[in-house]
Amino acid sequence: MSDAVLDLPSAREEAWRWADLGGLAAAAALAPVAAPEAEFLDLLGAKLLFVDGVLDEARSDLHRVTVGALAADDHALGRRAAGTGWSLHLDAQAVTDPVQIVHVATGRQNHVPSEIVLAEDAAAEVVETFVGAGWQNRFTRTRLGKGARLMRSVRLLQPAGFVSLREAAEIGEAASLVAVFLGAGGQGSRIDAQLTMAGDGAFVEYGGTLLTSAEQRQECAVRVNHAKPNGASRQVWRAVAADRSQVSLAAAVEVARHAQKTDGEQSLRGLLLDRTATVNLKPELEIFADDVKCAHGATVGELDQRAMFYMQSRGIPRARAEAILTRAFVADALERIGDETVRAAFEADADAWLEAALD
Amino acid sequence: MLRIENLHAEIDGKPILKGLTLSVNAGEIHAIMGPNGAGKSTLGYVLGGRPGYEVTEGSITFDGQDLLELEPHERAAAGVFLGFQYPVEIPGVSNVQFLRESLNAQRAVRSEKPLSGGEFLKLAREEAKKLDMDAEMLKRPVNVGFSGGEKKRNEMVQMGIIDPKFAILDETDSGLDIDALRIVGDGINRIMRQPTKAVLLITHYQRLLDYVKPDFVHVLADGRITRSGGAELAHQLEREGYAEIAA
Ligand SMILES: Nc1ncnc2c1ncn2[C@@H]1O[C@H](COP(=O)(O)OP(=O)(O)OP(=O)(O)O)[C@@H](O)[C@H]1O
Ligand SMILES: [Mg+2]
Repeated sequence: MSDAVLDLPSAREEAWRWADLGGLAAAAALAPVAAPEAEFLDLLGAKLLFVDGVLDEARSDLHRVTVGALAADDHALGRRAAGTGWSLHLDAQAVTDPVQIVHVATGRQNHVPSEIVLAEDAAAEVVETFVGAGWQNRFTRTRLGKGARLMRSVRLLQPAGFVSLREAAEIGEAASLVAVFLGAGGQGSRIDAQLTMAGDGAFVEYGGTLLTSAEQRQECAVRVNHAKPNGASRQVWRAVAADRSQVSLAAAVEVARHAQKTDGEQSLRGLLLDRTATVNLKPELEIFADDVKCAHGATVGELDQRAMFYMQSRGIPRARAEAILTRAFVADALERIGDETVRAAFEADADAWLEAALD
Repeated sequence: MLRIENLHAEIDGKPILKGLTLSVNAGEIHAIMGPNGAGKSTLGYVLGGRPGYEVTEGSITFDGQDLLELEPHERAAAGVFLGFQYPVEIPGVSNVQFLRESLNAQRAVRSEKPLSGGEFLKLAREEAKKLDMDAEMLKRPVNVGFSGGEKKRNEMVQMGIIDPKFAILDETDSGLDIDALRIVGDGINRIMRQPTKAVLLITHYQRLLDYVKPDFVHVLADGRITRSGGAELAHQLEREGYAEIAA
């Protein structure tokens, strides 16, 4: 095991019980592969290409993004990502074209910090894609000022290796953060987020879909802290697990004593495509205020066999019927992506995964 | 068109069909009546190829080919349509998507060109209109939140779009109001009353048969056809009940 992995918490710690630390270590030791094609979506705006954690300036176009030294946080994953990273700072009312970032790894491990700071009423969209092999670790700090709006879409498409994302966000008064993650590659993953509703009426939607097959393991561990009143948070996660793979979804909502009128929703659902697969769900509520509305649902199931037969009886072949039903199952988690081009790309990735998995 | 010989079928090891024999020719409409639990829906599911319905003896040929050899979707492509007694809800999948996929999958098996989105929508809208179903319902998820009668009507819209050669309609009349019954009856005649087509109409009541006049009526009791006759048999059953006639 490489040293870099050794000081991660052990799986005996509750927050790390489902983390695939072995997979992470194995990813970091992966032999180099050729750099895959870095494909940007057809969008205006900044395009950044990181190869093994280093900006490829010739193939990047920074627009309003800057690159420089950034501080890390004290989290086990976040603290590794100190050093050179990218920042997007927008002044009040500023709106930019989408920022696209492609992270290519050719093996081993790389760590990159980033920072998104939006001043009052600024709006931004960030789209990130992970490809290649090895362990890619990212720390993203987000600060949204009053009324600022950020839409993030992140897709993990590495055929192998591991992606860990440590996210720390502070959402200000009436600000809105919508983040959608798609794990549709063969890599392991951990999405580890701490979101703080730091202003009155802050809004967060944070979720996505993790698709796993073979021996793969992906997980999210998200904690939303409602520190101020009138906030609303929605966590919608969908897990699809085939073969002997495992998806774990842990989503927690904390409501501070004075954070009255909080509306917190967690919807965690798992679909097992094979009996040998596992989906772990852990919705958690810690509520110290008395006037709140918090709903959580957590279910794991299999494809509805009655619907399967109904579709087949109309002429749809079995594998296609499975794909349609599975796709419908994850649809909720992807439909929040606001940009049509981005949403279509994510949906196509999910479709490609399904086609391969249900073959 | 359809030839069922000495069919025995079981569910979870429990025999349900016990030597059922029935022949249906092109151009014919056969009504099947019979007490609850007799095995009528089971017959429909066996014809459709539902997993868990195991044929232990006998044979089914459809247009000369062994139907039991075919996968459910291949049976559909061969022209078999099963109208469900309890249509299934499919959250997250719109009627439009479901039906377009269905139709194009069948067309692919028959080496026909797929219909484009526009062509399909036109067809679907026309068919919905003929069956007096609000075209808006086509956009909704399959059967989700539909009333019992709306689900049945939706089955007929599907049948109209798919245009099958042979339809098994399992209690398509149950849950329909008086006007809907007439509309559905007219729909069955329009879509299926053709010299090249045939229908197996499972029903408990004479009233559907007032619209869709059967050429033959059979009583299915305890897994077998116990009596067959013409349209008059249905009237007799309604008057006298199964106990007298089917025993
Ligand atoms: N999954 C199952 N396991 C065991 N028995 C079953 C199962 N499904 C159906 N049956 C039994 O098979 C028998 C025939 O059922 P079927 O649904 O074919 O009857 P039916 O003639 O359609 O009745 P109805 O007029 O009430 O619709 C019934 O006794 C029923 O309880
Ligand atoms: Mg029945």
